[in-house]
Amino acid sequence: MRRLILTGLAAILAFSTLPSASISAADGPEIKIGSILPLTGSSAQTGAGLKAAQQLAEDLVNGHISYPLPMAGARGLPNLGHAHIKLIFADSQGKPDQAKAAAEQLITQEKVVALIGAYTSSTTATASQVAERYGIPFLNPSSANPKLHLRGFKWFFRTTPHDGIFSENFFAFLADMKKKKNISVKKLAIVYEDGLFGTGSADAEEETAKKFNYEIVAKIPYSANTTEVTAEVQKIKAAKPDVILITSYLPDSLLYMKAFKEQSVDVQAILAQDAGFIDPGFLRTLGKEANFVFTREVFSLDIKQRNKSVPLIDQLFRQRFNNAPLDGNTARDIMGVLVLADAINRAKSTQPDAIRTALQQTDIPGERTLMPWTRIKFDATGQNTFGAGIIEQILDQKYETIWPFAVSVKEPIWPMPAWSKR
Amino acid sequence: MKTIARDRNVLTLIGLLVIGVFAAFGVRDVVVLDLLFTLLIYAVLGQSWNWISGYGGNISFGHAIFFGCGAYAAAIATARFGISPWFAFPLGAAVAAVLALAVGYPTFALRGHYFSIATIAVGALVETFVKTQPYLGRANGFELPIANGFAALQFTEKWPYVLLALALFAIAQAATIGLERSRLGYYLRALRANYGAAASVGIDERRWKLIAFAGSAVLASAAGVLYAQYTLFVDPSSTLALPISIDIALVGVVGGIGTVWGPPVGALVYVFLAKAVALKLGGAGKGYDLVIYGALIVAIAAVRPSGIVGAAIEALRRRRAVREAGG
Amino acid sequence: MEQTIDVFAQLLVSGLLAGLLFALVAVGLTLVYGVMDVVNFAHGEFLMLAMYAAFGLALLGLQPLVALPLVVIAMFFFGIVVYRLFIRRLLAGPPEATVFGTFGLLVLLQGLAQALFTSDFFSIPNRPFAQTLHFGSVSVGAAAIVEGIGALVLTGALFAFVEYTETGRALRAVSEDRIAATLMGIDVGRMNAVAFGIGAACVGAAGTLLMLSYPVYPRVGADFALTAFVVVALGGFGSVQGALVGALLVGVLEVFGGFYLAPEIKMVPVYLAYLVVVLVRPQGLLGRR
Repeated sequence: MRRLILTGLAAILAFSTLPSASISAADGPEIKIGSILPLTGSSAQTGAGLKAAQQLAEDLVNGHISYPLPMAGARGLPNLGHAHIKLIFADSQGKPDQAKAAAEQLITQEKVVALIGAYTSSTTATASQVAERYGIPFLNPSSANPKLHLRGFKWFFRTTPHDGIFSENFFAFLADMKKKKNISVKKLAIVYEDGLFGTGSADAEEETAKKFNYEIVAKIPYSANTTEVTAEVQKIKAAKPDVILITSYLPDSLLYMKAFKEQSVDVQAILAQDAGFIDPGFLRTLGKEANFVFTREVFSLDIKQRNKSVPLIDQLFRQRFNNAPLDGNTARDIMGVLVLADAINRAKSTQPDAIRTALQQTDIPGERTLMPWTRIKFDATGQNTFGAGIIEQILDQKYETIWPFAVSVKEPIWPMPAWSKR
Repeated sequence: MKTIARDRNVLTLIGLLVIGVFAAFGVRDVVVLDLLFTLLIYAVLGQSWNWISGYGGNISFGHAIFFGCGAYAAAIATARFGISPWFAFPLGAAVAAVLALAVGYPTFALRGHYFSIATIAVGALVETFVKTQPYLGRANGFELPIANGFAALQFTEKWPYVLLALALFAIAQAATIGLERSRLGYYLRALRANYGAAASVGIDERRWKLIAFAGSAVLASAAGVLYAQYTLFVDPSSTLALPISIDIALVGVVGGIGTVWGPPVGALVYVFLAKAVALKLGGAGKGYDLVIYGALIVAIAAVRPSGIVGAAIEALRRRRAVREAGG
Repeated sequence: MEQTIDVFAQLLVSGLLAGLLFALVAVGLTLVYGVMDVVNFAHGEFLMLAMYAAFGLALLGLQPLVALPLVVIAMFFFGIVVYRLFIRRLLAGPPEATVFGTFGLLVLLQGLAQALFTSDFFSIPNRPFAQTLHFGSVSVGAAAIVEGIGALVLTGALFAFVEYTETGRALRAVSEDRIAATLMGIDVGRMNAVAFGIGAACVGAAGTLLMLSYPVYPRVGADFALTAFVVVALGGFGSVQGALVGALLVGVLEVFGGFYLAPEIKMVPVYLAYLVVVLVRPQGLLGRR
């Protein structure tokens, strides 16, 4: 018995001293960047795409083909003797404690010079705490929770806008629509999955709605694991909102759309907070029933007029990942790696303090990115305040950018035609 | 019964503690220390589950609620009230014990799977409750404020956490060894062996199970406090959700239900597979670690259903019987 | 006033249909328990496998209703295989062996699904029965009606099988008294295998019909299965009629709870109802003993 346990303990200790699978035999000077992603667990599907995206960015930096993007085609980091960057991936499993462990492994064993990750807000929270403790820069390309940059951290940098900003985008859109098309919207229903993502989004929406004097006639949290949404939809219908603001994952978004159709829930518009609504499965499953839905997006292939690199990178990404087009998550993660590489290069050093200073001095004009943002420039809290979302509408079973009007490709259709008339 | 000094279990425990202390101070590798901490926490959780589900025979799939009591006690104490998390130990324990009594009193009348489903129901109710209460953080949970020092129960290094976890583990094991030797343990064994006979002799099932349940809840709650102070993030899905309860149950059962060393061995297997392998293979993102963990559990269940430790005990007994028979 | 009645009617109909869906999933589970005293915790994963199978057949051009008999037969044999290779061994061990053995199966199957099929969501293209039917002020999807009919047919067929066929009688004998059944010459091992196979076949039917309304992904089984366990326990382990009654009750409670209380706590009345029922009747609504 004793022997069994002692052997077990010894095995664990021995096992963990084994070198990780990622150390390569032929090593040039390499700059290691740790990436924490949900590669298993409920966000695994997104995680896989993010990994492919980051690897694409790694190859862009290390490669020699130039694109109108920071560091693309630089053949490594020029200021560091063209040393290649190398991404070391660790699986957070979507769990905050595992993300923490992954961050620690990457920092202490792999000796990464910076971290990037971790998609879900709860894993980003704990992983960035570790980075803060060790004094390693942490770049967050795609977490939405509005509070992440308000923790007084020095090492945390977020390129993506958060749900607070996205929420303001919705209302800016509504205000613009009022000016342009004289729509009349007073009553809102906020529907959201009751986890971290949905709650953060809904709270931000409620706060902003109140600021602009809208009336919230229904606030409906629901469990994302539910298999039916009858009561939720009846409540929405009973409240007679003008616009429904909805935050859902894919399975529940499908349930809602089906129920809206079946119960003839006619509203002026359905405004979704990406996630399930931009998942390829949404359009694939619903076909023409998805038409007229608006969704906040982070990215669109339509911005290619201004962002010349978009179609090129989209092509490259499709080749790598099941012919899937570039989307908001993957585009942001590509930019995240590029921004980090750019900062390390400008720092001319792998010292954390130097990288941090370089990050603080980041200033990339929007056209030289994949995003519809004006710039990438961090404020004192580490948040890029020059980002914003765009609004798309599904028209003829395609996602069309319709806001900001400056980058729109089509006229929005408002209000949504009644379900019975489609 | 052997004297305490000669009891094999006690000697093993002391041996492990010595190794543990050396490891805490000697091992520099952060990843190994993290695995050690997780191992100890899960060993404690599995052991606490073992009291009611192993010795008690009532298989619970809702044990995470007690773990959550401690975790949330620590989170609320530090994030909301700014007091020392050491208060979370008695506070969490009190809430956990009361919860255990409230839940156990009506449900111990249920047999077998009805009890198990009831624990799932209770777990879901608790999780829903927390998710709807703003002062409990709803779905957002709590990020614990960064602090340092013994009084704040937070450290920049890992070894203090491992030592504290080791201490808790020692308490859990000692308590379990004590349980086996005590009257409570005797009664629980009698109830499990032959419920009807035990009841007819006057053993009050409910009373003894409630005591065991409350004790197990307090233990789990203590683990929760340490976990919260280590991870610095508490939310319903990482502390109260059904998957957590299932993880705890699997730890208890893989090692061997109703034995002193079952849960620690189960925790070893769990940490090894679910954490260590995930860290190494996890980059592939294909769920291979789940396949391996699942296959292992299936194999153990098929070949040695009494768990690893249970099988070892059986083997030892057989050998002793052969020896005594002069063979 | 009229509107409140309309809403009530809609909630009732939708609740019953949701309940029938739960019954569809739950019915296979309760039979296995009745005969073998085994709760198959991997039941949800069997459902998931059936859904993937139905999806695969749909890609080959076989719509769910056509694919149904194929999936049912395949799942029947799958159940027999799982029984022979694995469940049989669990039965020889201590009572908790079946609990953690089937849990291990759950983890293994989910891991395999993720490894083989990725975490992507797959839906049947051009699903049949996508129209909405209107009955006065109540609207229901055609697919939900098909699923509901399927549930009733399945429950009825299973009930008839258990009550009126010879094998069914043998199964009932085993579930009532294993030793006596052996003495009567019934091959208990074979009956166990048959029961497990039938349980899997039922869930095969459920999975195929579910593909009319839901996507399949590695975790899809978990959500349905959880409610199925509560339903089976509520109705009484081992009772097919109990599963149906329990399911209808759960469906209605969930929907009414969601509307008249709050959507966030719509499962609360379900769990409370379960606790209240078993505390008053520890064997569930229609369970034995």
